[in-house]
Amino acid sequence: MSASLLTLAWKSLANRGVSVALTILSIVLAVMLFLGVEKIRTGVRASFDSTISDTDLIVGARGGAINLLLYSVFRLGDPTANIGWDTYQLIASAPDVDWTVPISLGDSHRGYRVVGTTQAYFEHYRYGRSQPLALAEGRAFDTTHEVVLGAEVARQLDYGLGGFIRLSHGIGDISFAEHAGHDFEIVGILAPTGTPVDRSVHVSLESIEAIHVGWESGAPPSGGAVHETSDPDTLEPDSITAILVGVSSPIRVLGLQRQINTYQGEALSAIMPGVALSQLWQVIGAGETAFKAISLLVVVVGMTGILTALSAGLNERRREMAVLRATGARPRDIFALLILEAASLAAAGAVIGILLAQIGFAIIARGVATRYGLDLAGGPGVTEILVLGAVTLSGALLGAWPAWRAQRNALADGLSIRL
Amino acid sequence: MTIPAVRICDLVFAWPGGPSVLEIDRFEMAAGEAVFLAGASGSGKSTLLGLIAGITPCREGEICVLGTRMDPDRPARRDALRAAQLGIVFQLFNLVPYLSPLENVLLPLRFSAERAARLKQDGTDPHTEARRLLDALGLDAGSLTRRVTALSVGQQQRVAAARALIGRPGLVIADEPTSALDQDARDAFLSLLTTECRKSGAALLFVSHDRTLAERFDRQIELADINRARQAA
Repeated sequence: MSASLLTLAWKSLANRGVSVALTILSIVLAVMLFLGVEKIRTGVRASFDSTISDTDLIVGARGGAINLLLYSVFRLGDPTANIGWDTYQLIASAPDVDWTVPISLGDSHRGYRVVGTTQAYFEHYRYGRSQPLALAEGRAFDTTHEVVLGAEVARQLDYGLGGFIRLSHGIGDISFAEHAGHDFEIVGILAPTGTPVDRSVHVSLESIEAIHVGWESGAPPSGGAVHETSDPDTLEPDSITAILVGVSSPIRVLGLQRQINTYQGEALSAIMPGVALSQLWQVIGAGETAFKAISLLVVVVGMTGILTALSAGLNERRREMAVLRATGARPRDIFALLILEAASLAAAGAVIGILLAQIGFAIIARGVATRYGLDLAGGPGVTEILVLGAVTLSGALLGAWPAWRAQRNALADGLSIRL
Repeated sequence: MTIPAVRICDLVFAWPGGPSVLEIDRFEMAAGEAVFLAGASGSGKSTLLGLIAGITPCREGEICVLGTRMDPDRPARRDALRAAQLGIVFQLFNLVPYLSPLENVLLPLRFSAERAARLKQDGTDPHTEARRLLDALGLDAGSLTRRVTALSVGQQQRVAAARALIGRPGLVIADEPTSALDQDARDAFLSLLTTECRKSGAALLFVSHDRTLAERFDRQIELADINRARQAA
C-alpha cells in the first residue's frame, strides 16, 4: 500500500515540474552549503591539530601556554621574553632529550615572520601525521645570508630561487627599520604544508646575530654604518625565543616538563603541544560553532520551500483528493501521500546536494590541499548519511502541516466538486 | 432472496445548523438494477450520493450497501466498503491529472485488496482487465498512455467509467456523468455504461436532471417523490 502511495507521490511531483525543481534546488544548495561548511570546519580542525606533531615539548620564557604556542608555532602574538643560550645548551644536552630545535623570532619580511633556527628544524619539525618538511626547490640554508622560504611566502611575493631579499626589524606588517646591507639569497623553497611554516621565512641563528650586530640598543647602528659580518663561528647567539624538544622516550616527557618548569636558573615554561592546541581550540572553537549554526539555519530556510511548494498546490488539488477519496482512499492515505511528497522532495534535494558536494570537493580538493593544506578529499561518510536522514525526516515533518490541511479539506469536501 | 445493492431506512439528514435536506423513509435498489434518479439541482442529489458512498456519515436512519451498513462511527470501514464495492463517476474532472488513463483505471485496486482479489477470481490480471474495459468502452489503445489532460471530455468520462467498473464492484454511482457531453457522445457513453454495468452485474445509480435519458434504465425515480424534506429555495 505504502509503496503504491509512494509511486503516486512521485508521479504527482513529476507532474509539477518547475515548482518542484525549484524547491529541490533550494534544498540542494542548502545541503551543499552545509556540507561545504562542515567539510571546511572539520578540515580546519584537522589541519589545526596537525600544525605540529612529534614535538614533545615546547620551551619558552615563563608565560601562558597558549601564548607560547601562538608565537612559537603559529607565528602569532609576541614573545614575552627570551631564553638564554646557556639554558638552551643545558636543555639540549639533558639526558632525556633526543633532539632540540632552537627558534629565534623578532624579525620579519613584508609581514612574514622570520624564524632563526638551525638545520635541525628541517630535520625534526613534523606536521600532520608525522610528515617532515620537504623542499620544493633548492636546499636548506648552509651559512649566513641564506634564506629558505615557506611555500606561501614564495607564492604570494612571487619569489624564486637565487633572488635576494632583506629582513626588517620587528614583526609588524609595516616595518620602518630595515636591516640594510644584509641581502639574503633565496636558496630553498619549502613544499606547502598547510601550516604556519608556509608563512615563515627561515634563516640560520647566525644570520639573526649577523644582522643585529650593532643593534644591541634595539635601534639601527648609529650613522647607518653596516657592520660587516665576520666569521660565522663567532656569531653565537646570546639568547633565543623558544625551543622545540623531542624526548627520547614518551614516559620521560612529564618528568622533563616538570624539571624545566621548576628550573631555578631561569623562569621557563614547557608545554605539551597537543594539550596547548586543544586549549587554544576551545578558545577559537566558539566561532566554529557559530559557523555551523548559520549553515544549519540555511538548511532550515531551504527546507521551508517544501511548505511553500506543497501548500501552494493544495487548493488546486482538492479535486484530485476528492477523486482519490471516491476511489477508496482513506483520509490517512491523503495525509500519507502529502507526507511522502514532502519527504521525497527533501530526500531528492539531500541526495543531489550530497552528490554535487562530493563532485565539488573532488574538483577543488587538490587545489585546496596545496594552497590551504585542508584535506577535502574522501567519499561520503557518516556526516552525509546523517544529513540525508535528518533532511528527509524533517521534510516529512514539515509536510505534516500541508498534509493535515489536505486531509481536512478532503474530509470537508467529500465528493462535491469544488473548483 | 438476494441482498439489495442499496437499502435506505428512515434517513434524515441536515447539514450542520441547517434544515433537513433529506428525509427518506425507504429506498431500495436490487442487486444489478439500473436506477435513474432525477432531481433538480440543489435537491439534495449529491448529498444523497455522498451518504450512500459513505463519505458523509449518516447519523439518523440507516444506509446499507450490499448488505453492509455505512456505519457513521466507523469511517475506516466506510472507506473500505467504498473502496471494495463502489465505483463513482462524476460530472467532470474524474481523473487524477498526473496518472495515465491506464493508471487511473487501476487506481481503485491500490486501495482495495478485495477488488484486486476479485480480478484474480475472474482469472484475469489488472492490466488485462483495464485494457479490456477501456476497449469495451471504446477507447483506442493509443489513448491509454497519453496525458489525461490530452483526452476529450468524452474520453475522460469513459476512463472514469472503466475505473468505476474495474474489479466488479456491486454498485456504480454516476453523478450527472453526461451533462458535459454533446448529444452523440452522451448516447454512446450512456449505452456503454449501462451495458458494462449489466455485464459485470453492478447495480447502477444514475443521477441526472435530464429526464430524456430515463427510459434506458430499469426504473426511474424522482428524488422529490421519495424525499419528504421540504426543500429550501
